[in-house]
Amino acid sequence: MSGTVEIIATFAGEEQCVGGIEALRAARAEDFHVFAPIPSEHIEKAIGRRRSPVRAFVLIGGILGVLTGLAITIGTSREWNMVAGGKPIISWPPFIIICFELMILFGGIAAVLSFLLSAQVPAFESLPGYSSRFCGDRFGVAVRCEETEAQKIESILGVAGAEEVRRAQAQPSAAIVDLRDG
Amino acid sequence: MAAAAPEIAAPTFSDVDRSVLRVMQAPGVLYWVWIAFCFTLVAIGAGFWTRQIYTGMGVTGLRQPVMWAVYITNFVFWVGIAHSGTLISAILFLFRTRWRTAVYRAAETMTLFAVLTAGLFPLIHLGRTWFFYWLLPYPNERYLQPNFRSPLVWDAFAVSTYLTISALFLFMGLVPDVASAREQAHGWRRAFYAILALGWQGTDRQWRHYSMAYLLMAGLATPLVISVHSVVSWDFAMAQLPGWHSTIFAPYFVAGAIFSGVAMVITLLVPMRKLWGLEDLLTPWHFDNLAKVVLLTSLVVTYSYATESFMVWYAGDPVEQMTFHMRYFGPWGWMFWMMVLCNCVIPLLLFSPRIRINLAVLWIISIFVNIGMWTERFVIIAGSQSTNFEPSQWAFYRPSITEIMITAGSFAWFLGLFSLFARFLPIISMTELKEGITWLRQALRKDYAKAA
Repeated sequence: MSGTVEIIATFAGEEQCVGGIEALRAARAEDFHVFAPIPSEHIEKAIGRRRSPVRAFVLIGGILGVLTGLAITIGTSREWNMVAGGKPIISWPPFIIICFELMILFGGIAAVLSFLLSAQVPAFESLPGYSSRFCGDRFGVAVRCEETEAQKIESILGVAGAEEVRRAQAQPSAAIVDLRDG
Repeated sequence: MAAAAPEIAAPTFSDVDRSVLRVMQAPGVLYWVWIAFCFTLVAIGAGFWTRQIYTGMGVTGLRQPVMWAVYITNFVFWVGIAHSGTLISAILFLFRTRWRTAVYRAAETMTLFAVLTAGLFPLIHLGRTWFFYWLLPYPNERYLQPNFRSPLVWDAFAVSTYLTISALFLFMGLVPDVASAREQAHGWRRAFYAILALGWQGTDRQWRHYSMAYLLMAGLATPLVISVHSVVSWDFAMAQLPGWHSTIFAPYFVAGAIFSGVAMVITLLVPMRKLWGLEDLLTPWHFDNLAKVVLLTSLVVTYSYATESFMVWYAGDPVEQMTFHMRYFGPWGWMFWMMVLCNCVIPLLLFSPRIRINLAVLWIISIFVNIGMWTERFVIIAGSQSTNFEPSQWAFYRPSITEIMITAGSFAWFLGLFSLFARFLPIISMTELKEGITWLRQALRKDYAKAA
């Protein structure tokens, strides 16, 4: 009876990493995640996952902001009628400014909150296969597969140009700059 | 005989990390002397503010008819300084401008601290600072609410929104870079960076949502930056006062804000590059582009001055014409001409490509622009009030020591906060530099070609 294993491939560059992802998908190995030091459209395209729901949250945040702006301006003007210079109590042009600012404010807050929710951060534990170099200068692909398929996956990743393919936990890399307390 | 061409630098991802993180190593004694100097000035300014609160607004030079002067000048100046940060980080991000990658974090940091500094001045000017919350709509027993037709209330909403969005935008951009710093740090720094990094590991899931959120934040910040300084300009333009009541104020103020802000970015980056050895990341190519923005906005500002004066002459209103006559030739006339010299004449030197990449000269020009833009705000704000509708109301304003020391304290506050940030958090975005590493290599090649 075979168990599952985690295979971690380290790539020196974005192109090789994209090659590795495409080769995995061609081999129908879909249970993987990628580590990268930079955002990459090519990697995202190669992975082929659906687009982020952050857009919808921002839209909802923006609409809520406008509605809050309308509620505040109209509500408070009706509560405290300030008749000045024959201006209408509900004066649309200045109220639009408040609605606009609140639309941006609520939309921005929604963007950050939805990012935190969708990306599942704060994350208190490292994902399997994480290495400190993936925040620095290396790309990584961590594949979960049956032990029987491990050799095939390792071979695919090796052919795609991985610098290193391993099954063990990541080893911390040597520090390039020593950031110690003063 | 020509010297041998220097070797072309081709930085890698590790080189970028090394260069940026090197700045964050334990600072030396001189750095702490500088920080102590800044915060001593802040303490002196705070002391004068405390005295003002205790004694009353009589300790300032504010007298009828000049009730808005140095404090409001500082407020508009600092809000203006903030604007270029958002221009560089958000607007140029949307346009995928290549040269922004090395300078945007510093500009964004400057934005945050400039808005924080600006936000102090309405509170200081308020006199009874503890009633600041009266500008906000909140349930109260007398059903009193702010007047939403007042530009001052728009300002409270606009500046608060700007501060919040700038802080969030800066924080989001920092997350991947702080994660890099976390991997190199020890002790309390590691714990500090680990908290700020939110457990960032650079997974495809994290990047996918991050990229979308960052893009949308940039999209939201772009109209915001235009709106905030327009709203600030309406504090004046909505009034009936000659010298303030002008329809060109919104675009005129926005252009001036970008002009002064980019100049401040240059003022901060040139010494930072030299002192912290960032020559391989902040190349003359970056400064050349910043200088072009300064030149362009200088021309827009010059055009605005000319249009403003033309409109006053063409409209034929004698009261407004007298206000402008006094602006040019009155007691504060020398400030107007200094403003023209600093904002319209000196930046014309930037037409020369040689001057644009001569960082010492560029730095001096940027300081002139900062002085000129502060002067512009003072001339508009205090100057217009001192020569009001009726000559019997005219009065000459003179700032008091309280206003001068609080202003000095605000500059020290800004510089101190910026210096602290730059030494403990990544002041250059490692992520974006790595994304645009090809452009950085090209920039370095171009520099060497020029140097040769």
